[in-house]
Amino acid sequence: MKQFFMLLKKEQLENIRNYKIYWIPAIFILLGILEPTTNYFLPQIIESSGGLPEGAVLEIPTPTPEQMLAAIVEQFQTIGIAVLILAYMGTIAGERKSGTATLLYVRPLSFRAYFLSKWTMASVISLVSVWLGFLAGYYYTYLFFGEVELIKVLQMMGTYSVWVLFIMALLLVASAISPNSGFAAAIAFSTYLLIQLTDGLFGLNWTFSPGKIPQYGLEWLIGAPDSSGLWGAIGIAVLLILLLFAIGSWAAQRNKAKTKV
Amino acid sequence: MDQTTMIMALVPIIIIQLALMIFALVDLVKNPSPNGPKWMWGIIIVVINILGPILYFVIGRKNY
Repeated sequence: MKQFFMLLKKEQLENIRNYKIYWIPAIFILLGILEPTTNYFLPQIIESSGGLPEGAVLEIPTPTPEQMLAAIVEQFQTIGIAVLILAYMGTIAGERKSGTATLLYVRPLSFRAYFLSKWTMASVISLVSVWLGFLAGYYYTYLFFGEVELIKVLQMMGTYSVWVLFIMALLLVASAISPNSGFAAAIAFSTYLLIQLTDGLFGLNWTFSPGKIPQYGLEWLIGAPDSSGLWGAIGIAVLLILLLFAIGSWAAQRNKAKTKV
Repeated sequence: MDQTTMIMALVPIIIIQLALMIFALVDLVKNPSPNGPKWMWGIIIVVINILGPILYFVIGRKNY
């Protein structure tokens, strides 16, 4: 436990030094703001780019605030997750390459504490970024399209957070098992796409599938998701996260010989 | 909504973009050995919106 907090401090320092603590939230806030803004100004944007012929009539229905928040989730699911994967792909693999790992591995190191400290710090930064992004997006949606109850948005954010935690665990395991950070990003991204694809193709009745968590989050906006499905999916996600912890610490220990000096 | 509130709403976007760009540029100038030529990263950071600074932070800094 003592080692965990010590390593956590090291992670925190590292995240400050490479500015991740600043730029990841900035990106998410930008993503959250841009979606409602571009939608609001869509007629002017089309007009100024001059794409329409004379006399064309274009009816753009004003999206409801709920649809706008769904669009923000969509952005986070694609660009947001890609940014997180790029930012944290090297957490373990890159450390082995840069030589920082050598300084750590020569000491009596608990690999469980090592892996957990990395996951905790990466998750804290990603969660805070995602929340700030949602809140910024929510404020702009409120400004341009109308109100959604705050409590619904908070419920949506809470549900989505479980998904982010799951993705971070997946990413760190990928980083622990791969030889370099590019490989880690490839593994994490293909697994992420695979989860979404299988869930989309075959998962109609898989109410417990963790891939449905973002969707359950959105259902909070228009009512309430099926509660047994929601808690089942969250339960399975938590179990998978624990399993990923085990795999990750094991793989980090196993690959410690790959460190470059 | 009147014109001024609309323009006020756009200000944060510009501020965040500028902040990211300046942050990346300052770090680039201080960085003794970026991953690739400095002038190339300078162009990427200034020209490519949003994505340029991210690319620099992710692959341009050698220690990572």
